[in-house]
Amino acid sequence: MKIYQNSSEPIYKQIAAQLREQILMGKLKAGDPLPSIRGLAQDLKISVITTMKAYEELSSEGLVTASKGKGYYVNAQDERMLKEQHMRQLEKHLSDAIYSARIAGVGLEEVEQTLEMLWSIDEV
Amino acid sequence: MNNAIEINGITKKYKDFTLGGVQAVVPCGFATALIGANGAGKTTLIDILCGVTGKTGGKAVYFGDMTDIDDDKLRNRIGYCSSANFFPMDWTIKKIADSMELGFDNFDRQRFAELCKRFKLGDPTEKKQKKLMKLSDGNKMRTYLAAVLARDTELLVLDEPASSLDPLARDVLCDLFREYLSERDGERSVLFSTHNIADMEYATDYAIFMANGKVIEQGFVEDLKEKYILVHGDAENADKVRPFMISFSGGRTGFEEIALAENAEMLRAYDTAVETPTLQQLSVGILRKAEEDEK
Repeated sequence: MKIYQNSSEPIYKQIAAQLREQILMGKLKAGDPLPSIRGLAQDLKISVITTMKAYEELSSEGLVTASKGKGYYVNAQDERMLKEQHMRQLEKHLSDAIYSARIAGVGLEEVEQTLEMLWSIDEV
Repeated sequence: MNNAIEINGITKKYKDFTLGGVQAVVPCGFATALIGANGAGKTTLIDILCGVTGKTGGKAVYFGDMTDIDDDKLRNRIGYCSSANFFPMDWTIKKIADSMELGFDNFDRQRFAELCKRFKLGDPTEKKQKKLMKLSDGNKMRTYLAAVLARDTELLVLDEPASSLDPLARDVLCDLFREYLSERDGERSVLFSTHNIADMEYATDYAIFMANGKVIEQGFVEDLKEKYILVHGDAENADKVRPFMISFSGGRTGFEEIALAENAEMLRAYDTAVETPTLQQLSVGILRKAEEDEK
């Protein structure tokens, strides 16, 4: 895991985002434990409360569950919810793309062409 | 959440200084920083909590149910280190090891030797030894830290541990805190005082701000960073936004200060840039307000 300490994005959000990605990509599977809060803080050279906040965020999204006295575990992800999460990511990235397109004055047609081109490159 | 210490209205009256009714907690499982200017009362509070100085009133509850700091059972659970001359200056690390072993049940000589090695202080079993007075301030502090960390405790209380350390040693100190906390996940706590929080930012979970013998703010750092915002703006808007700021510092071209996050929308309307403050920036704003209020 990598952390930008001087980024405008809070450190707890960076941690949550990276763990979220690992869960959604299936690298962390149902039942897998997250690193201990204080162990991760030690590894990343950040404060304990920052790690805790990252885990609480993942917990509120239903991705992990706190087991009292034992730490955090990855929840079984139901497929619909997983797809929902991926859709949310997709929409976010497409919104960013639309934003860039508007600034550059690129129309929908050209964006579609670009998307098709990238899509076909990725399939190979 | 459990607390390592609950401080209920502790007071101490001196001729020229009063530590007034301190209400604060040191949450269990975290590193807590006691932040304040010189003379704010940090050392007095720490000395009272560790039983070095008596108090005029109030009480402290340790580990949920212990209140008598003169009880050896309690003292064995706390590792305390003052900021200066913690041991007599003609002692060597060997003498320190001997005396700590005698004084505390839970002093681990092996661990002390390891820590001395890690801090490049030498070997406590060797014949030829340097006296403490011959060491630099930084190495004295390292020696005290090695002695206190070689005891198996549940709470570390350190008065200004970082002030005499160079940047590299401060980084090691932060690592030691996190290591201490993670070795027994959730059971151990650290309380340390500092008047320079910048180097300790990433080792601080909970902050207690003191000024003029009083606690003026406290909370988990992540919560405080949501409660307050850092605002930058142009000088021409300074007078308009001033009432919404906690405290104020500005020049001819612009200003920068801390405000309550609930005023963020209003402040943005005056063409200001709003950011999440660092603990250092928060501390400056909160302590400056205390100074202004005093005038």
